[in-house]
Amino acid sequence: MPEIRKTFHQHLDEIKADILRLGAMVTERIPWGTDILLSGNLKGAEELIQGDDELDALYWDIEERCYKVLTLQQPMAGDMRSIVTAIRMNSEIERSGDLMVNVAKAARRIYGSEFDPKVRGLIQRMGEEARRLFRMAMDAYAENDEGKAAALNDMDDDLDTLQKDYIKAIFEAGTTERTDLQCVVQLALVGRYYERIGDHAVNIGERVHYMITGWLPEHAGAARVAVRNSLDSPPAAQEA
Amino acid sequence: MTLADSEIRIEVADRDRDPDPVIEPSSTVFEVADLSVYYGSFRAVRDVSVNVAEHEITAFIGPSGCGKTTVLRCFNRMNDLIDIARVEGRISYHGADLYDPAVEPVEVRRRIGMVFQKPNPFPKSIYDNVAFGPKVAGIKGDMDDIVEQSLRRAALWDEVKDRLRSSAMGLSGGQQQRLCIARAIAVDPEVLLMDEPCSALDPIATARIEDLMQEIKDRYTIIIVTHNMQQAARVSDRTAFFTTEVNEESDTRTGVLVEFDRTEQLFSNPADKRTENYITGRFG
Repeated sequence: MPEIRKTFHQHLDEIKADILRLGAMVTERIPWGTDILLSGNLKGAEELIQGDDELDALYWDIEERCYKVLTLQQPMAGDMRSIVTAIRMNSEIERSGDLMVNVAKAARRIYGSEFDPKVRGLIQRMGEEARRLFRMAMDAYAENDEGKAAALNDMDDDLDTLQKDYIKAIFEAGTTERTDLQCVVQLALVGRYYERIGDHAVNIGERVHYMITGWLPEHAGAARVAVRNSLDSPPAAQEA
Repeated sequence: MTLADSEIRIEVADRDRDPDPVIEPSSTVFEVADLSVYYGSFRAVRDVSVNVAEHEITAFIGPSGCGKTTVLRCFNRMNDLIDIARVEGRISYHGADLYDPAVEPVEVRRRIGMVFQKPNPFPKSIYDNVAFGPKVAGIKGDMDDIVEQSLRRAALWDEVKDRLRSSAMGLSGGQQQRLCIARAIAVDPEVLLMDEPCSALDPIATARIEDLMQEIKDRYTIIIVTHNMQQAARVSDRTAFFTTEVNEESDTRTGVLVEFDRTEQLFSNPADKRTENYITGRFG
């Protein structure tokens, strides 16, 4: 029998294509922002910051189309998971774009400051790792690849380790030479921005995993609350 | 004979009923195992196995010709009324074989009422429509009370209490369908079978029936056949998806149960690709 909801499924495909476009825009911004920061490129920083409006416009357009599909088409099963995933991913991607705007703003604030070579190297590596994770998350979505989506959580450990090394390097550089406090604070925040992009990539991986299999990540917080509540409640015998 | 006629005949024949001691209550109302239904030599549905739980709404969905209505009609032995219909496999009702020769079909149909696709009130007053079943079933008690209670449970009382002696034919389609529900529950059944009860109704009347189903499921076990997947998703606790398979040698189609699960699970993450394809509109 022929497919009977062609138009609806075309809308779903278009939303997916635009999510991938948004994801590609952010993926490009990660090395671009890193270069701006390391080279002190004020003009580039301005371009990246202003260019975020384009991302925001696409983000809102996707979100509105998702709501429209939910309202008018009442998707079910894989279609429902697909549209819910698109809504959640859209936010993760847009937020990652904002984090690269923050990196560009940090580049403006610390313009003219000299970085320790080790700090510079770690920024470069964090940028590369964040881009790799983000690219892999978008590939997992594009290819419906459950394996790639599931692997992101483990891969993010490398970026977390890099960020810890980076903070340590900032402290070490601060004790050996005269350092501008504004620069140190901004650099510390930059490490956090890359680390958060890695977290967003992991979240995207979880959403993709859900889209493909219906699996939801373990609710670790909820599980801890349940354990605490059970410990707080005295056994029935004690109550009596 | 129309379905409405058959309903009348059943209730008339029910005059001297005795409670069937074989049927005992339990939390599972129906257990269906390897059910097949034949019309002559043609097998309309094959190998259906589902359990229907007490005080739940179970929905049957699937494309036309998948056998969902045929299976529904097995639950109160309506297929007995078709000479060439034959049932294989087992349907147990509270553990007792529903098709055991010792089980009286008329008693089965009193305990297991049916509401049909098209509202089919008798050309009588609203009061007489509701009182008809209890009267012929020999149910004792204050008939005014029975009528009022039934109409209240069917969420119709407030709309008709001042015109009980008016013709039921003057009611709107949605009101007529709720009257049919009142008529079905007036004989105090345990189960209500609903065969596309909203397909002839507008969205507001449909919403009222759906709301009513939620309100009365504390008292009744409900099985609903519906073409409307959103309706199944909205009202039911469990859903069975049926489809058809082509018999190459005879170029006929036989209905088959594909998946039976909690409604939330079936509509969010169905286990079978055929279910996914049907509920998302992707065939083939």
